[in-house]
Amino acid sequence: MTMRFLMTTKGIDAAPPTPEVMAEMAAFVEEMTRAGVLLATGGLDPAGIHVSASGGKITVTDGPFTEAKEAIVSFALIETRSKEEAVEMSRRFWKIIGDGEGHIQQVFGPQG
Amino acid sequence: MTSGNGSENGAEGETWSGGGTGDGSRAGDARGVVGAVWRMESARIIAGLVRMVGDVGLAEELAQDALLAALEQWPQAGVPDNPGAWLMAVSKRRAVDHLRRGERHERGNELLAHDLATRPDTGEAGVDEALGVLDGEVGDDVLRLMFVSCHPALSTESRVALTLKLIGGLRTEEIARAFLVSEATVAQRVVRAKRTLADLRVPFEVPEGPDRAARLSSVLEVVYLVFNEGYAATAGEDWTRRDLCHEALRLGRLLAGLAPGEAEVHGLVALTELQASRLAARNDPSGRPLALHEQNRGRWDRLLIHRGFEALLRARKCGGPLGPYVLQAAIAACHAQAATAEETDWKRIAELYEVLIRVLPTPVVRLNRAVALAMAYDPEVGLAAVDALAGEPALGGYHRLPSVRGDLLARLGRHEEARREFERAAALTRNVPERTVLLERAAACADAAAAVRAAPGGTVTLGEAADDFLAREDLDAATVRSYGQTMGRLRREIGDDVPLADVGAGRVARVFAAAWGSAAPATWNRHRGAVRSFSAWAAAQGRPTGGPDGDLAAGLGRRYEPRGRTRPIDRSRVEALGERPDIALRERVLWLLLHESAAGVGPVLALNVENLDLAGRRARTAGGSGWIRWGDGVAELLPGLVAGRRRGPLFLSERRPGPGRPPAPGDLCPETGRRRLSYERAEYLFKQATGHTLGRLRAR
Repeated sequence: MTMRFLMTTKGIDAAPPTPEVMAEMAAFVEEMTRAGVLLATGGLDPAGIHVSASGGKITVTDGPFTEAKEAIVSFALIETRSKEEAVEMSRRFWKIIGDGEGHIQQVFGPQG
Repeated sequence: MTSGNGSENGAEGETWSGGGTGDGSRAGDARGVVGAVWRMESARIIAGLVRMVGDVGLAEELAQDALLAALEQWPQAGVPDNPGAWLMAVSKRRAVDHLRRGERHERGNELLAHDLATRPDTGEAGVDEALGVLDGEVGDDVLRLMFVSCHPALSTESRVALTLKLIGGLRTEEIARAFLVSEATVAQRVVRAKRTLADLRVPFEVPEGPDRAARLSSVLEVVYLVFNEGYAATAGEDWTRRDLCHEALRLGRLLAGLAPGEAEVHGLVALTELQASRLAARNDPSGRPLALHEQNRGRWDRLLIHRGFEALLRARKCGGPLGPYVLQAAIAACHAQAATAEETDWKRIAELYEVLIRVLPTPVVRLNRAVALAMAYDPEVGLAAVDALAGEPALGGYHRLPSVRGDLLARLGRHEEARREFERAAALTRNVPERTVLLERAAACADAAAAVRAAPGGTVTLGEAADDFLAREDLDAATVRSYGQTMGRLRREIGDDVPLADVGAGRVARVFAAAWGSAAPATWNRHRGAVRSFSAWAAAQGRPTGGPDGDLAAGLGRRYEPRGRTRPIDRSRVEALGERPDIALRERVLWLLLHESAAGVGPVLALNVENLDLAGRRARTAGGSGWIRWGDGVAELLPGLVAGRRRGPLFLSERRPGPGRPPAPGDLCPETGRRRLSYERAEYLFKQATGHTLGRLRAR
């Protein structure tokens, strides 16, 4: 059974990626997309908009709210046959990117 | 993707970085990683090895050795930084060792072995270097491997097993479980396939030239077969074995990446993505299979639909004639585009099937086309197309033939036949949930058939039928009141409890004669119209009355409704005319016929001998649109007038036509050479005899 995972990365203090890293990343993304492993990916504005609901009252506030380091700055929705494959994908991703940290969470959804 | 990513973190083959903290979990993790990496990398590893050693079986053995080495080492030493590269490097070393051992015997391999052996395969850059040997062509190697493992010389089962094993990275045990056969069977298929490939010395290449299309379609066939095995498992309790679907999706996407110029490859990918988008919606929560029109379309996977559309676009961009996979994908796209089942563009689907049937004229495609025709036009059209497939040997044991036929029959209200078809289909399928659904449908048809049978087979009475007839929604209030008078009289005179099938035209005629025999023609005709409408409705309901051909009004002539104040000549006077010796047989028949039939003079004079139904006391009018009926008087005299003629005008003039005015061919009797009696002459003769015009002969 295939499973979907959301991989996210937090902000990195390090210098912006070199053109070489960018090119390698682009090739990686393209191949994973073609293979059907990578379903969607993108970067996120670390500032964001904060929304809270309480007692029927919705409050919307413009960010930022977190330290740049803690904010999630990119995501990838992937589809693999096991958790281990997801981890292996993540490993390859970080080998290209370099230092940093992130999360892998299984996505439960319509695939049922 | 290249693994040689320029990382500077030391010799990858020897740097270990375990994942977990505790030893136990680390060992478990490592085993999981070995499995995952193997499934991701085995195709590349084996393909690269086949190119080195030239034999699929040997390549797989060498790769397996590397896998075993990983299983031994990783749990202890930790998972290497680049596990895929590690497996690749170890396999390659084993291959080099093998080639060295074989050098003495096979000088042909010497150079390659030497070449590989002299490359540094240990030390800092060892792994990356080793991979570099394979990397440039690794994609092409996987494609070559697919062409080899799907070689048409292998049996279909062998092709499937070998492809799943080599390209999909599945274990024998997993393949066996998916196909519901024993592990030994799968192992045997794989062994046999490898031996055949070796015996035939199948070259490790992507074929070119005329062979290519056939070989490619063999590859596509294997992928689609794997998909279908998962999509609608042919046997067992699970209606879908989704792992196989996803495996096929992977294989297809891989193939599309390796052969991006082939429209049919993208077509196959589009078809499988679109079909897979419905996987989650194909069963209800209890596992009962749902037909396309019953599915909750909100459960369709939009992401896969999107991928399917994209693949279809890529296929169209490749150009060339539309192949079977592209066309089937286009049909699947029509379904995916319909937000509800009712919005499905069945006309477009039927059109696509017309094209598909030309490139893929298989019985199954013809069957699906029949379904599309039924949906686009009419169940009758579909049924005719299905019936054209009867006796098709390829569909002999195929449960969908009777199941489609049953569906169409049920929609046509032919429940008893539908029930038999569903039962036949249930007996043919090996899929348990599907059989349950088919038996349910058979039971529903049996109920419907019983309900209908409870109606006409004798128990539906005149009273019940009349009630149903008047309860129709398409009748306006005035009509219901008018028909109600007619039906009420019939029910009182004949009896509410008399079975409808026992009510004949004669009884109705007697009721009419008694009730409205002396009423105005308009009244008579109004009641007559009600009976005709009732007869037609009952026949359409499958509850025919006892009249001839179900027509209860057969004994009721339409009466002439005079427009002016002229009164028709009464019966006794007409009969008296018939007794006069100076009146010729022709005139007696004509006058009586006009009187008994209440038909117009023109249509009666236009009658031809070949259109007479003497036994049925009726004749088809010249236009063929209606009937002229008569009673006892005409019936007695008519054979004498026909006098053995078989064709031509019934009423003839006394003389042959002169040369000056040739009649139209249809007005000339081929047997006597005489022309049809003219209106003027007939009118003249009647005036001579009675002083009246012929129109006065029409009954009230």
